Amino acid sequence: MSDTTQQFVLSPGPHLHTEESTSKIMWWVNGSLAPAALWGVFVFGLGALAVIVAAIAGSVLTEYAAQRVMGRRPTLGDGSAVCTGLLMALTVSPNLIWWQAFLGGVFAIALGKMIFGGLGFNLFNPALLGRAFLMATFPLQMTSGWAAPRPWFGAPLDAVTTATPLAVLKEQGLEAAIRLVQSPVGLWNALALGFRPGSIGEVSLVLIALGAGILLARRIITLAIPLSVIAGLLLSTLHTGLPVLHLMSGGLWLGAFYMATDYVTSPSVTRAQIVFGLMIGVLTGIIRVYGGYPEGICYAILIANSMAPALDLWFKPKRAAIAGSPS
Amino acid sequence: MTQATGSLHTFGRGGVHPDPHKGATSGREIEDLPAPSEVVLPLLQHLGEPAEPCVKKGELVRRGQKIAEGGKTGVPLHAPISGKIKPVDKRPHPTMAVAPSLAIGGNAEAGPELEFPEDPAWRDLPLEESLERVREAGIVGLGGAAFPTWRKLQFARAAKVDLLVMNGAECEPYLTADYRVMLAWPAEIVEGSVLIAKMAGATRVLIGVESDKPDAITALSKAAAALPTRDIPVEIVPCVARYPQGAEKQLVFAVSGRTVPNRQLPSAVGVLVQNVATAHAVYEAIRFRRPLLDRILTVTGPGIVTPRNVRAPLGASLSDIVEFCGGLAPGTSRMIAGGPMMGRALPRLDVPLIKGMNGLVLLTGRGPLEDGFGPCIRCGRCLDACPLGLEPDQVSVRVEVGRTLDTEPHGALDCYECGCCSYVCPSSRPLVQFMQVAKAALRRAAATRSAS
Repeated sequence: MSDTTQQFVLSPGPHLHTEESTSKIMWWVNGSLAPAALWGVFVFGLGALAVIVAAIAGSVLTEYAAQRVMGRRPTLGDGSAVCTGLLMALTVSPNLIWWQAFLGGVFAIALGKMIFGGLGFNLFNPALLGRAFLMATFPLQMTSGWAAPRPWFGAPLDAVTTATPLAVLKEQGLEAAIRLVQSPVGLWNALALGFRPGSIGEVSLVLIALGAGILLARRIITLAIPLSVIAGLLLSTLHTGLPVLHLMSGGLWLGAFYMATDYVTSPSVTRAQIVFGLMIGVLTGIIRVYGGYPEGICYAILIANSMAPALDLWFKPKRAAIAGSPS
Repeated sequence: MTQATGSLHTFGRGGVHPDPHKGATSGREIEDLPAPSEVVLPLLQHLGEPAEPCVKKGELVRRGQKIAEGGKTGVPLHAPISGKIKPVDKRPHPTMAVAPSLAIGGNAEAGPELEFPEDPAWRDLPLEESLERVREAGIVGLGGAAFPTWRKLQFARAAKVDLLVMNGAECEPYLTADYRVMLAWPAEIVEGSVLIAKMAGATRVLIGVESDKPDAITALSKAAAALPTRDIPVEIVPCVARYPQGAEKQLVFAVSGRTVPNRQLPSAVGVLVQNVATAHAVYEAIRFRRPLLDRILTVTGPGIVTPRNVRAPLGASLSDIVEFCGGLAPGTSRMIAGGPMMGRALPRLDVPLIKGMNGLVLLTGRGPLEDGFGPCIRCGRCLDACPLGLEPDQVSVRVEVGRTLDTEPHGALDCYECGCCSYVCPSSRPLVQFMQVAKAALRRAAATRSAS
């Protein structure tokens, strides 16, 4: 006879669970960003590394401190604070000073995330709020004196400072933007591979695409939001004659694949995601062409973030409701 | 129009693909549990009123003999082993802690099993006689719900169903009992399906089987082709192996293309759904007047030494069944009655096998919720997994802050608790339980409204 007095655990069903977890997802996102981050360090030098490390440190320490103050169990292992710090660092100028980046990380977590109640409750993308904070606080370092990238592998870091292609495009036109890149591999290759001035993690489209490909393959993100962002941007810049240049410059890819797809601050229903993405793309184009900034994706996403909860309620999943039922 | 992937059929949206874990028992034939020394039969093991004992303490009964009457809404009970009746007493019950139960002590003096000779007129019985035999045989839905089959057939007839969908999907991971039943008795299942269709007034039978059971599909197809009469056509429909393919609404859509509205039964679209094992029991009841005495179940999982498909007399102790399967493996922490997705954890082994128990899954390690759960990160996986298009995320966050009555627009009342949402949640949130809380609160509120 088996021991009939053996007591089993009475856990509620279902009794099986997927292997996926929030922390695994976050670490996959962080890992998939590593190539673009390393590329940023390679082309912009150790200053970029200091910015990345300081931003992550600011985020992580702030989350830990906030959780202690709020009397909660610290959850640094889930990787979400690292993710916020890293993403923010990748959207800022390599010219930023390390303590400025640290402050950005503090702001992103404290006022972007913990003030709302922590993971899952924030309305706006914390990394982009951190970036917006840095734009307002340290505009000099954020928008001027962009470090020019090394022209080649192995060549010494060029200390000359310059402007981003989008800024030059806005101020001086296409010809000047092409001259700026000054790359023998040509404008398009330079934009794709990342031989251009820009934010630390935005410059290499190839490496961002690699990271996004990993997230798509792991089904961590889907194409609904990124493709809608791209479609919206192409639509809203078509009349300038330069939609493809807009597509390949600035932080569009980083924004479309990594920022706009942030679970917490984007809609969850697919149809709502498409509207959300289109909104971001169109707003980005409008800001770039008519607004006061050369780049617009950051504010476009932050504006669209505020719509995400409503979009989910407006575009509910379809279901076979009973006849006469209001729902 | 049915939803088809290649030649395979499936449901419209949602669903998950958990690791099937069927390999441990899918190749094992059904094995008989040696007659236990005692069986314990709870008087209530179906929906409806409890059975009323019609035997006295100390009476000797033969296997197959009726020992309790079913009353107006229930079904009778029969002696699953020959032996001596023990006094009705409160005994441990799998789901109700303790419940009044009849017990029989095995005793060879009581004699062998009753004989159940064939009724030569079995194919052409009048409707009332057929239904009476199904009721007298004590048959309930063997897929797990355990609703008295004769009542379900009456309801279906009153609702004027035209289609019988037989459920051979067995989409729950680990379980292979229905699969082995389909392999062992394909002709009986097909005949039983035709009998059920006739009683329900259906003119057509579709048997849905997941495509990971190709030999069951072949066996049933041969049996259907060999039917002596063609007045009720029987067709086997291979379905994609995808959970919850065997849920009524999903299976009906997969095989027939009809959409059962949420919160309604398949009869709303003219369909009756029955499990394949039930068809086998109905066949035995009508052709031989043979009552339901045994239950075939899969005993499996990493917590059992020798996983098996077992045929055991109803009322056999789960400890006897586990012993027959080599006993518990070290580290067994959880025992699930039914499949691991919708089954129920049982606390202990000293409870009897009841009619609705189609599997016993013994698991090691910690359960999904034992380490707590995290906040909703709004990833939307539950929305993609829900086969009904409900919003478990929205329901859960509202229940968490006490706004249970605001959950109706998000579908709390429609949920039948398949568990897909909880299964995929990366924050391990108990989404099914949030749904249950919301559903209970909404129903209470509705009852209060209608009472005042």
